[in-house]
Amino acid sequence: MSEIPVRPDPDGPILRLQDVSKSYGAVRAVRDISLAIPPGAIYGFLGPNGAGKTTTIRSIMGIILPDSGTISFRGQPLGRNTLDRIGYLPEERGLYRKMKCAEHLGFLGELKGLPRREALSRAREWLERLDLAEWGDRKVDALSKGMQQKVQFAATFLFEPELVILDEPFSGLDPLNIELLRDVIVEQRARGCTVIFSTHMLAEAEKLCDSICLIDGGLKILDGSLDEVRRSFPLKSVRVAFAADVEPPADLPGVIGRTRAEGEWRLEIDQDTDTRALLTALAAAGPVSLFSANRPTLDEIFLAAVRRRRGAGAAPGEARA
Amino acid sequence: MKTWSIVRREYLERVRTRGFLISTVLVPLFMGLIIVVPMLLSQSGGEEQRSIGLIDPGRQVTESLRRALDEIERENFALVTINVERRSLADGVAEMRDMIRDEAIDSGVVIDPDFVNTRRAAFYSKSVSSMMLMDDLRPALNRVLSEQRFQRAGVSDSLRVYLAGRAQWERITVTAEGEETEQDEPSAFIVAVTMIMILYMMILFYGQHTLTGVIEEKNSRVVEILLSSVPTSNLMLGKVLGIGMAGLTQFAIWTATLTWLSGTGFSVGGFSLDGSLLTPVILVSFVVNFVLGFFLFAMLYAGVGALCNTVQDSQQFATPIAMCAIIPVLLLSLVIRAPDSTVAVVLSLIPLFTPILMFMRVSVQTPPLWQILLSWVLMIATILAAARVAGKLYRLGILTHGSAPSWRTVMKILRQPD
Repeated sequence: MSEIPVRPDPDGPILRLQDVSKSYGAVRAVRDISLAIPPGAIYGFLGPNGAGKTTTIRSIMGIILPDSGTISFRGQPLGRNTLDRIGYLPEERGLYRKMKCAEHLGFLGELKGLPRREALSRAREWLERLDLAEWGDRKVDALSKGMQQKVQFAATFLFEPELVILDEPFSGLDPLNIELLRDVIVEQRARGCTVIFSTHMLAEAEKLCDSICLIDGGLKILDGSLDEVRRSFPLKSVRVAFAADVEPPADLPGVIGRTRAEGEWRLEIDQDTDTRALLTALAAAGPVSLFSANRPTLDEIFLAAVRRRRGAGAAPGEARA
Repeated sequence: MKTWSIVRREYLERVRTRGFLISTVLVPLFMGLIIVVPMLLSQSGGEEQRSIGLIDPGRQVTESLRRALDEIERENFALVTINVERRSLADGVAEMRDMIRDEAIDSGVVIDPDFVNTRRAAFYSKSVSSMMLMDDLRPALNRVLSEQRFQRAGVSDSLRVYLAGRAQWERITVTAEGEETEQDEPSAFIVAVTMIMILYMMILFYGQHTLTGVIEEKNSRVVEILLSSVPTSNLMLGKVLGIGMAGLTQFAIWTATLTWLSGTGFSVGGFSLDGSLLTPVILVSFVVNFVLGFFLFAMLYAGVGALCNTVQDSQQFATPIAMCAIIPVLLLSLVIRAPDSTVAVVLSLIPLFTPILMFMRVSVQTPPLWQILLSWVLMIATILAAARVAGKLYRLGILTHGSAPSWRTVMKILRQPD
């Protein structure tokens, strides 16, 4: 597969949204969202159902016009010529049921500007890559839902786009196929393709993403690289285990709660707790065999951030995607 | 050229289906049946005897009426005389009524005792359908009456034949190339009417294809993938063009088959297929009117299709559109009677009616060129306006899902800024 050519400003964001807003009647689906998506990364676009993810993505794809704000791709305003460089797997997707798979893929490739012959030969390659080689001449009707989803997935990458937006690409797939598609995504990133991965399945996002953005109620709550985001959230607990049958002392510095499970202790800690002092205090009580300061998972970050925002006064149900 | 990819897909998807093959074969068969069966029936009408009861006091007309009826070749009549010499006329009529009721005879005629002077006769029948029979009886009895009056006036046989002479008509159609005798007027007319029916059916049939196509795209959710590659306007245009080309292909198959069949001298029940009746003017006019009519209706169908999630939902919008297509068919007889009248000219210039009515006018009598051109200009302007409205409905409707839209939502969408 060909390398993506280097652009004048290779380090600048491949896609930039500036104060994008979109309302449907009285419902403000997206409110002043600004994003800068770094090139060559897998970018998680995360949020609960109805957060405004799909509306934002449709605005990027030019399917709907935002009420205000600007969107630029590699520094150029979005237009017809940019569409051919962006792949999109919508959440609400489907195929023409009466078309043969290879032909259908070829057709979708043509719509992205590939010559017909080229599109058809790439369709065959991609069907092979996704274990669907023998289905090329079968009608879409004959395929299972999961297989159809893989065909749609292939269509997104067929024309070697510079940027791909995947809206809930794994929903309804078995773990084997999720793994297959995840490999393809990583492979495509190695080729230089930027991937925007929109999902509410945070465990999946955590495995794949380099950077994330979290939105809720049409508002951006936080964004940045996954590490940055994690670091910005304080530790909530540490896991501790002793080699001998010892209990952690009662007056540990900064510990506000404790639970025991399967021979381990989980100590809830204060935001400002000095973990080194804590370890020293624990080591004084007995031989420590495990001391693990876990960074919060995306799930925890997500819950904390959404609660914090909703607690901060936004009326619930303000936005629908 | 993405639009052409869409055109090709739409075209192939339709042309490759079994439905296309079936309709390509069935429509001409059906049309043939509509035309040929009545012809065959009218020819074979002689096999069936129509029995007519006759009460003729004094046998004034019996023999001459029988002779007159025998001369009518298409029908085979049997006169059943009901005798009233030894009873009252009223009794005879009562018996005849019973016979009609029992279906012993199809109908009955009662001649006035002083027929030659009073000219009075009565026709009895069970149903209105025997009006056809009366159409045969009336001239026959008229002839009998005049014969008898001539006889009574003492007119000689030779003078009577001379006086009974009828005008011999010849029909001549004046065309642009000069005078031209048209021997087979009825078949030219039949061809025109058949073509109009085909045109009407094709416009509606392929228009509705657009409706179901758009709904299917929306329902299967393939539309959002398409919209991430092409703007809505190209998607809509490609769809309409592809479906229209499938329609033209079907018409081309029919024309080619008809030309080939007429070349082989094929005929059904004495009705031979005459390919020469499909003049280039009629063919070109058919194609132009199909394209214009189809485009107009397909745009409207595409627009409302984009609003609806199921074909059922779409019926409240699709039915009024179909009505617009039926109105010109209902107006046909008005236009046929006087293709050059002001009413016909005005009606054929109304864009929704143009495809059917202008085609009819061109088929029966070439209208002035300016009228044809004006109708095209009006059509194209209307199509462009329809495309704007439909495009808006399409753009704003295609991604909405949920309950069936109402006329109010349609108006609301149309009032939104672009």
